[in-house]
Amino acid sequence: MKARFAGLWRSMPLRLALLLVLLFATVSLLSLAASYAVTQRSFEQAIRADLAQDMAGFRAAPSAGAVASLVEAESRETDPNRLILSYIGPDGRIYGNGAIARDDEGYHIVSLGAARTEYTGVYLTLTDTLYGGLLTIARSRAEISALREVFVNILLVSLLPTVLIALSGGLILARRSKRHVEVIRHTLDRLTTGDLAARVQAGPRWSDDLSRIGEAVNQMARAQETSVAALRQVSLDIAHDLKTPIQRVSVHLDDLARAEAEGGDRAAPLDRARAELDGVGAIFQALLQLAQVESGDARAHFAPVDLAELCRTMAELFDPSAADLGKTLVCSLPDEPVTVAGDRTLIGQMLANLIENALRHSGEAGQVTIALKRIGNEVHLSVADDGPGIPAADRKRVLQRLTRLDRSRGTPGHGLGLALVDGVAKLHDARLELADNGPGLRVTVVFADQSP
Amino acid sequence: MKLLVVEDDTTTSTYIARGLREEGHAVDVVADGRDGLVQATTGQYDVLILDRMLPELDGLTLLKTLRGAGNATPVLLLTAMGAVEDRIDGLNAGADDYLVKPFAFGELSARVNALARRPQALEQETTLRAGDLTMDLISRRVTRAGQEIDLLPREFALLEHLLRRKGRVQTRTMLLEAVWDISFDPMTNVVETHVSRLRAKVDRPFGSELIQTVRGAGYRIQA
Repeated sequence: MKARFAGLWRSMPLRLALLLVLLFATVSLLSLAASYAVTQRSFEQAIRADLAQDMAGFRAAPSAGAVASLVEAESRETDPNRLILSYIGPDGRIYGNGAIARDDEGYHIVSLGAARTEYTGVYLTLTDTLYGGLLTIARSRAEISALREVFVNILLVSLLPTVLIALSGGLILARRSKRHVEVIRHTLDRLTTGDLAARVQAGPRWSDDLSRIGEAVNQMARAQETSVAALRQVSLDIAHDLKTPIQRVSVHLDDLARAEAEGGDRAAPLDRARAELDGVGAIFQALLQLAQVESGDARAHFAPVDLAELCRTMAELFDPSAADLGKTLVCSLPDEPVTVAGDRTLIGQMLANLIENALRHSGEAGQVTIALKRIGNEVHLSVADDGPGIPAADRKRVLQRLTRLDRSRGTPGHGLGLALVDGVAKLHDARLELADNGPGLRVTVVFADQSP
Repeated sequence: MKLLVVEDDTTTSTYIARGLREEGHAVDVVADGRDGLVQATTGQYDVLILDRMLPELDGLTLLKTLRGAGNATPVLLLTAMGAVEDRIDGLNAGADDYLVKPFAFGELSARVNALARRPQALEQETTLRAGDLTMDLISRRVTRAGQEIDLLPREFALLEHLLRRKGRVQTRTMLLEAVWDISFDPMTNVVETHVSRLRAKVDRPFGSELIQTVRGAGYRIQA
């Protein structure tokens, strides 16, 4: 319970509420104090004015005797708690309803009756000499004391409820936001323990900033879920595509063992096993490279790459191989350099994959065309063949890892070629377009032109 | 040559050491990075063959320490990772060459030999010769047995590369790097096709093979 309260105490809404209450109380106190001071002053001034007027009234009397009788007459009618009149005549006699005495402790006002009781309370006094006597008029300050009480009451009545309301409102808000934070925390807990489907369900009463945090958590979870799913898919793909060649290696080794025991051809199973292992290595290499490309690290090493020169080199590299297959490699390249920002090795690898792919799928005595064109501020690099092409419905699928439309064992390639092309294009913020070459497939990579 | 192999996988290190010894090299083998560093700094080696992932002290740190201490022995780095980034990391750390596992022994041997003789490649020559073949680097003419051979620019570069390294095996990847400036290996047998084109012009009409195929490794022009 104590811990829960401590938690609330540190919560943002409660702290804000407390701060506001403090501010409000300070302002109220200051303004009340100021108006109290002003009112008190004007009360005092009014009393003093009354005293002066009283004194002037008595001064109008013609003689000491007249003053004495006036004082006597008035003091009979007045409440000594409100007004005290005291006249010490020239003969030393005291008239009125009180006598002012003075000792070490200050002034005392004492009643003139037989009891000689002392009046308590605070008075404002005015003393003057009249016809050889001394007239003292004292008016009570009780009204001013009452005024203070009134002000304290106002303070209590206006301030206390405000403080209480603000405080409880803050507490309620704090508890609500604590509940919302709790929802987010719970979701994060589930996410970290592996439940990647967990999402923050923001209610309609959630504050804007908490909703935004919740949305950000969901976004992170979605990204995580996607990448984990991709990873799982890759693991499954690897398992699938590697188990088969490994199985075949084991068969070849069995053949080798039999050849060893019974006498027979040993070179053939040995070569076959080695070729299978080379294939396994190539798949690993391609997957690693794909992962590296997709991580985007290579961007740090980007430099200007002349695509025209690179296309020429790659075309020249593949030309004899194409001729051996009875196919032709045609280039349509500009003479001047066409520069993009990128990684020469990766773009070269991408081109090699595209050319190999096109050579593999072009028709008998087919033609593969490498073209480089500047269109607006874009560079279009395309490799086209005249083979069967890819149906529009399958075009997206072939970019995925380990996809081969023709899964028959006779087809060379590990199905990572186009996935790498896609990865390299994305790394360079280039657009990859698969189109019908009528007949055949035309793959176009659209870069942003960086030529000077 | 005196070689040091730093490799923790004994199957691999035994295989490398045996192959290199068969080629007539003296080979020392250590299995962890710390021993490797001690051995490399105290012994006089012509080439170090260094695995990237090692116990005690990893290969890159070993290499940086070695270079930091002013040791310039050529280093061939072996790695299971083969992406461009790793290659750059390795070369930045001071490796002279880089080989991705799994590799063929022929590739390793060719690269070790290339590293050991690297400084001698600086000599300036105007004419290269092998048997009855002559290459004039200034007029860019190639003749064999007095007969002029017409070569394409890339065929000329390929032949020049092999002639300059007479007697040493050049692998497919080494040729791709040197002649085409390409540091990846296309799956198609592009290098083989280029070499066979070159042979069709340089060897076939003359009935004797200057350019030899070394099984499982690459090509060589006999010294």
